[in-house]
Amino acid sequence: MVILPSKLNFPAARRVFPMDLDDQGLVTRARAGDAEAFRSLVVRYQRKVYAVALGIVRDPDLAWDVAQETFVRVHRHLGEFKGESAFSTWVFRIASHLAIDSVRRERTSAKDDLEEAGEAALAEGGEGILATALGTNPQESALRRELLDKIGEALDRLPEIHRTILVLREVEGLSYEELAERLDISKGTVMSRLFHARKKMQALLRRYAGLEARGEAGEGEP
Amino acid sequence: MTRRRALIGVAAAALSLAATAEAAPGIPVRIRVIKGSRQGPAAVDPRLADLHPQLSRLAYSRWEQVGEQQADMDFKKPVAVALPSGERLEIEILESRKDTVTVEVRVPAYRTTSRLTLSKDKRLVQQVTPEKGGEAYFVTVRPWP
Amino acid sequence: MKDCARYLPLLGSRPGELEAAERAALEGHLAACAACQGRLADLAALQGMLGEALAREAARRDFTDFADQVMARVERRRAGALGAFFRRHRALAVGTALAPTLVAAALIVYLELRGAAAPGIEVVSEQYAPMVIETDQGPLILIGDGDDSEGT
Repeated sequence: MVILPSKLNFPAARRVFPMDLDDQGLVTRARAGDAEAFRSLVVRYQRKVYAVALGIVRDPDLAWDVAQETFVRVHRHLGEFKGESAFSTWVFRIASHLAIDSVRRERTSAKDDLEEAGEAALAEGGEGILATALGTNPQESALRRELLDKIGEALDRLPEIHRTILVLREVEGLSYEELAERLDISKGTVMSRLFHARKKMQALLRRYAGLEARGEAGEGEP
Repeated sequence: MTRRRALIGVAAAALSLAATAEAAPGIPVRIRVIKGSRQGPAAVDPRLADLHPQLSRLAYSRWEQVGEQQADMDFKKPVAVALPSGERLEIEILESRKDTVTVEVRVPAYRTTSRLTLSKDKRLVQQVTPEKGGEAYFVTVRPWP
Repeated sequence: MKDCARYLPLLGSRPGELEAAERAALEGHLAACAACQGRLADLAALQGMLGEALAREAARRDFTDFADQVMARVERRRAGALGAFFRRHRALAVGTALAPTLVAAALIVYLELRGAAAPGIEVVSEQYAPMVIETDQGPLILIGDGDDSEGT
């Protein structure tokens, strides 16, 4: 007979930590065994961790699971966190690592297809169209709000390697060097892959916005 | 008191039957047959990415999807699934409610039967053949995929 | 265009990421190339939109139970660690499972899930000693190894 615990009881009345208690303070308490402090860290970063995972895996259920597993790993390795980087940086690193790992098989097939694409073909058409359409104050542009709703769809259509590098660069904020290390590729490949990813994303956004440029790459092209 | 309890019991049973009857016809179920292997380099079929949390708990390093069927399963009408190794499974929905189904998986060759209730967001992963030569077959069942 | 192809991957770099020579060459090219100025403007216009779009998607999801689920996972790993145990000591687990006293005896595993409406799992096997591992995604049922599984 095997009986496994399925649900554990937590105190009904929770201590609420003030919002201004910094991450390091909560980490110190969590490391000392304070479950509520750890819970506060989870609540603080849960949506952002989920967003990073979702950007890479593009499956809400899988992203949810990756986000949960991220915090389980964070809890397990809390003692190893030295505070040399921000706590959030450490958490997002674990999240993106798990997300990449969960879709790593997809990457192999997509890679060959895209890395060999000619740069010249990708460079054609559409320069500045989005910037012009978004106007001088993009933050307040109606088109921007429209495009925000379309970015998810565009991400769904990008190969996993391109989604990943965009999320790591734009959301996690990694530098070229950090990207090279994380993805185990050269700095040159980082720049090239990032360029291809952005180009493809821009082409899709232009298409959604009805701003297709003459000579734009077709749907199946990189 | 006893009569009141009996009435409540009858009412509850009637409600329960109504719920069962309402949800019973054509429950979409996704059934996949997967092979776990200890040989060769670690590799997971990308189609199995959603099962990663469950599969990663096991000792097999290679996972491959070898069959899939998706069907609207009727209440108490078993679906037969053939395994590449020759055995045959029977999967049957015994009961369904609004958000749950009770499923039975029978593996006659190994005289094994499992019965469990799955909610909408859950899937069963079950080993259906004993491990032979470092390989074993599994079936995964997900209602409302 | 030939020249542009050389500079395209350099667009979108942050201060300090390019070598001094690369930076100087890029600036020289940008000063004379309207197309690359347009490309740079596109990059600037879209700056931050990916993060914002993903945050919007995340905001649409209900996170009410997220932290509780994480805490339950943490506790489960800590208390039981059955999954890890199974990976590390599978031979022991299976060896025990296949002990002669268990062979040919019907074994019923009933997993009583603690919690309101938690369902039970019943596994009946005349030949094997099933094991049930509960995960957040659903149950994992194992029946063990065959007769030729020496050393596994």
